Amino acid sequence: MSETGELTYTRVHDASPELLFDCMTTPEHLTRFWGPAGTTTPVDGITVDLRPGGTFATTMVSDADGGSYTMRATYVEVSRPDRLVWVEGDVEGGMRTTITFTDIGQGRTEVVTHQTNVPAAYRSAQARAGFQTSLDRFDHYLAKIKTT
Amino acid sequence: MVDDELSLVFSALADPTRRAILARLARGDATANQLAEPFAMTQQAVSKHLKVLEHARLISRTRSAQSRPCALDTVRLDAAASWIAEHRRVWAERYDRLDEHLAALRGERETGHGR
Repeated sequence: MSETGELTYTRVHDASPELLFDCMTTPEHLTRFWGPAGTTTPVDGITVDLRPGGTFATTMVSDADGGSYTMRATYVEVSRPDRLVWVEGDVEGGMRTTITFTDIGQGRTEVVTHQTNVPAAYRSAQARAGFQTSLDRFDHYLAKIKTT
Repeated sequence: MVDDELSLVFSALADPTRRAILARLARGDATANQLAEPFAMTQQAVSKHLKVLEHARLISRTRSAQSRPCALDTVRLDAAASWIAEHRRVWAERYDRLDEHLAALRGERETGHGR
């Protein structure tokens, strides 16, 4: 993959790729963990049309004031249990989320969440400079600058 | 910070020379001349980079002094860093809760089997 401007988040869970994939794609599961903290995601506010071109939408309701925020995305790739890709068209530049599920044995699965959600200008600037990095590395870089 | 400002910051940071200039300024203020030295660049080229950094408000330049020294402005850097951290935090918490959910599912299954 040669995408630029990425955020990668890796976690290992004690479950099979199939179960994890289902957790990510079933409203009854999603409502239990989607979050973020301080919000609830009611099951009837979750739309999962699990096919390429299908809609993935979640409405998060703030616990504090009842205000809601809807995340609306379109599935790009649905390959149970290995890979799930969606794009949020509403976000400028099209935020793309790719989740891969890899069986690492002993009932454990590595879940890698890969997000290209940086503003478009940044992506094109990177392309021009032929410079590839990740947001993670930017994070390190920014931290380094500040402690120099 | 709105997306546009963030774009300016990331766009400015995408250039290795500009990152080196920022790293230099992190050690202390410097004039355009001083900044040009280690890069073997023309005054003009440095001035172009400084304009980009100034536009992204990653540096500030004194208006009054003749030499117009540049200073690192960390407000936008902080904002960019916290934007990244915020995205990581959302995913970290989401997967924490997923772990709890998985544990609950295991619990249900085990009780179901009468263990």
